[in-house]
Amino acid sequence: MEPTNTHTPPAWLLKLFRWFCHPEYVEDIEGDLTERFQLLVEESGVRKARFRFFWEIIRLIRPTLIKPLFPNLFIQSAMLTHNLLITYRSFLRNKSSFLINLVGLSTGLACVILILLWIQDEWNFDKFHEKDARLYQVMENQHFNGGINTTHETSGPTAEKLQKEFPQIEYATTVIPSNWYDFDRLTLSVGEKRTIAAGQYVGKDYFNIFSFPMIEGDKNQVLADKNSMVISRSLAERLFQTHTGIIGKEIRLQQERNFIISGVFEDVPPNSSIRFDFAMSVELYKDIAPWIETWNGGPLSYVIVHEGTDVGGLNQEVSQMMLKMDENSIRRPFLTSFSEGYLHGKYEDGRMVGGRIEYVRLFSLVALFILLIACINFMNLSTARAGVRLKEIGIKKTVGASRSSLISQYLGESIILSVLALLLASILVLVSLPEFNLITRKQLTFPSELWTITSIIGIAIGTGMLAGSYPALYLSNLSVIQIIKGKLKTSFGELWLRRGLVVFQFSLSFILMVAVWVVYQQMQYVQTQNIGYDKEQVIIFDIQGKVKEDPDIFLEELRRQKGVLNAGLSSHDLTGKSWTSWGGIRWEGMAEDDNRKIELAGVGFDFLETMGIEVISGRSFSKEYRSDSVDVMFNEAAISMMGYTAEEAVGKPIDFWGNTRKIIGITKNFHFESMHEEVRPMVFFHMSTGGLKYVMARLLKGQEQETLTHLSAFYEEINPGFSLDYKFMDEDYQAFYEAEQRVAHLSKYFTFLAILISCMGILGLAAFSAERRTKEIGIRKILGATPWRIINLLSMDFSKMVLVAILIGLPASYYLAREWLNGFAYKIDLTYGYFLGATILTFLIAWSTVSLQSLRAASINPVDCLKDE
Amino acid sequence: MSKHRLGEFEEVVLLTVAILHGEAYGIAIIHEIEERLNRKVSIGSLQVVLKRLEKKDYLTSAFGEATKVRGGKRKRFFTVTNLGKQALEETKAQRLNLWNAIPKTAWGN
Repeated sequence: MEPTNTHTPPAWLLKLFRWFCHPEYVEDIEGDLTERFQLLVEESGVRKARFRFFWEIIRLIRPTLIKPLFPNLFIQSAMLTHNLLITYRSFLRNKSSFLINLVGLSTGLACVILILLWIQDEWNFDKFHEKDARLYQVMENQHFNGGINTTHETSGPTAEKLQKEFPQIEYATTVIPSNWYDFDRLTLSVGEKRTIAAGQYVGKDYFNIFSFPMIEGDKNQVLADKNSMVISRSLAERLFQTHTGIIGKEIRLQQERNFIISGVFEDVPPNSSIRFDFAMSVELYKDIAPWIETWNGGPLSYVIVHEGTDVGGLNQEVSQMMLKMDENSIRRPFLTSFSEGYLHGKYEDGRMVGGRIEYVRLFSLVALFILLIACINFMNLSTARAGVRLKEIGIKKTVGASRSSLISQYLGESIILSVLALLLASILVLVSLPEFNLITRKQLTFPSELWTITSIIGIAIGTGMLAGSYPALYLSNLSVIQIIKGKLKTSFGELWLRRGLVVFQFSLSFILMVAVWVVYQQMQYVQTQNIGYDKEQVIIFDIQGKVKEDPDIFLEELRRQKGVLNAGLSSHDLTGKSWTSWGGIRWEGMAEDDNRKIELAGVGFDFLETMGIEVISGRSFSKEYRSDSVDVMFNEAAISMMGYTAEEAVGKPIDFWGNTRKIIGITKNFHFESMHEEVRPMVFFHMSTGGLKYVMARLLKGQEQETLTHLSAFYEEINPGFSLDYKFMDEDYQAFYEAEQRVAHLSKYFTFLAILISCMGILGLAAFSAERRTKEIGIRKILGATPWRIINLLSMDFSKMVLVAILIGLPASYYLAREWLNGFAYKIDLTYGYFLGATILTFLIAWSTVSLQSLRAASINPVDCLKDE
Repeated sequence: MSKHRLGEFEEVVLLTVAILHGEAYGIAIIHEIEERLNRKVSIGSLQVVLKRLEKKDYLTSAFGEATKVRGGKRKRFFTVTNLGKQALEETKAQRLNLWNAIPKTAWGN
């Protein structure tokens, strides 16, 4: 019964069948199927036959007939243990390269984890408010002649007007923030108990707008009354030892005014940009400072819009709000997402141009970069060591190992390594977190949320796979004959890639080394530089309470205390954080449109003497001259601005706020701002009370501690209800350079990291080339080369690369250092010493890394490396 | 108890292989069963049973030539072994034994 037709069953169905069917049955069943198909074609036609064929194949999918899911479970588990064993042995055999890889990967991973934690924290900053999506801050674009200035400060009645006129707005509040005046260090007292805390004045809906949850009290009502105060949990515990059952109790602010506690809220979380310990009603502040209600005032305003509001449309109306009232108004208010303001806070010409988000992006890139470099170094080292393992691979291949099994072995090896590296990295992170928190001023904790942990593990395994992929593919692809003969070709491009990488890493290290050195020297310079007055052993504190009534009497008492050398009063804290005022001074020959500003400092007698500010011409304020209460002094900068010399200026009349006054003395220039700025013109005028804000006292050197203990008691006695809350001037002065200090700190770590990573890079390359040149070295030795020559030969190669790296790094580091130093008005000279030093250091590091490798290569026995050919 | 025990379908397949005598392979067996017993047999279940019977040594198999009808696959011809024959006979004897043990009055007519 030979068939006459030529129809065949559908090929894809047969393929499918062969794929799933148990090999034992394939031939029989396939034969039967085909035969039946042919019969059916004759009986009922192709279509039906095909359909039946399909149906029968589907019915063949049953447990007894399909391939076992794990065909050789035994072999696989045996291979797994074998691979693990081989991995373990290869780690043991190449202890050094294993350790180098481990250190490289784990420092890389630790960096990445730290950066991730930081980024995550930045992203979540200010996002914890429940109505975050509808929470907007009102900002203002102020249109001046010169351009647009964007500010958080809004006109006093903004919030009220918005709520009244725009139905889209659900809640609005005016806020006098805790960074105004001395609101961040107010004295609160309950009976005899006192503490210093930060407070703000807020509207009654404040706690509906921001999610600072109430522990006690109704968030709608807590600030309905002018005499109500809401305090934080920790503040309550400081004052009452409990945070419950204190509603209705009395609390005293600055020993002046009593409040009734109306609520207790949970402490402000660390990821909030708004920081305060207690809140009072803004209505009260309107009584204290009525100017706040004018359209020129400058408190902050926040709103919650109703769900589904088109904020773009609303903004168009809001921006016209001020123009409607006054067509000359320069103010254009607008709403912007509150939580986004944290990362996108920089405005130029009225448009948002970034902000902290730039750092987030930068650091994301840095993290990626570090990881990539760690991976590439790993690849370099493991391919370099390949020679040692070639025999293993060759034999495996000869015996019949498939490529995929070799790939999985090498991938597995690098994944095991990366998991080990992750463990080490976690330890590193745990150890370095406190320091990291100090630098970043955050309170990051080791990740505990599931998704962070899984993503970190994911990154680690991904790194392992990425790092292992090249060696795995490269080694498994070699032909057996090549391997056994020990001949390996290296492509030109590959070598260049390796070299390029080393050059790049060393340039980076070089630049960072120069940077760290320059930053360190400049910081030394600004801190040791004579700033024009003696900032050591001087304490500064606010004038408050009873002292305010008659500061001079207090000062007399203070001077009499043991350990106090001198004391003075001032309206200016000399460390640039006070509210300074300008203008109002005119002198002879001054141009009509001259609007240069002069810093104002109201001082009491003995202030200049206390601070050690030198008078270079004329005299200082003195009680002996009655007229001193109206006369003025200037610093050199102001005098030279007026076009006088120090000598001729004394006795000259000037116009000060409409009154004619006499210049009685000139002080030497001193720094009252950071060294980023030139010393600006300053005027001193005598003040008795009112505007004076600070007490400065110079203490006897060596007895500061006793004196301060004594002074604290003295202060509490003379100024009942207040504690002495002092700061040392030199610490305050340090705060100028906080950002720089952090840069210095961070770049120190990054330099260490960069050096570490480049060392590993060059080590990898050295190992690689030593491996490749074994035969050459052997022959050279036979022909009489000394080990020294061989070391030279190998090191020369790297020296050239390092030289190229330095040539690249030189201009880059010079440019960067100059740019950074240009931010300072007073700076060190950028001498060639920095670059020479960094060059020498780079070479030393490179040589000492390579020399180990070269030494090993140079001391091989030629017989060993030449015998197998 | 006998050491040989055959399932119903196993018995049918064994008998059919014996009937076909040297011409017993997959499709032929199926056709024979379908014709004689008027019952549907799927390729898969037949092959599973054939394999099982071969493992129990009731059947042996030998490959024939590859044919075009089978898409170039060879036919596998089955023959019943002595052990298979014994098993069949034993099963038959057991059945007969049971038949004979039925009392005449049991059927009621």
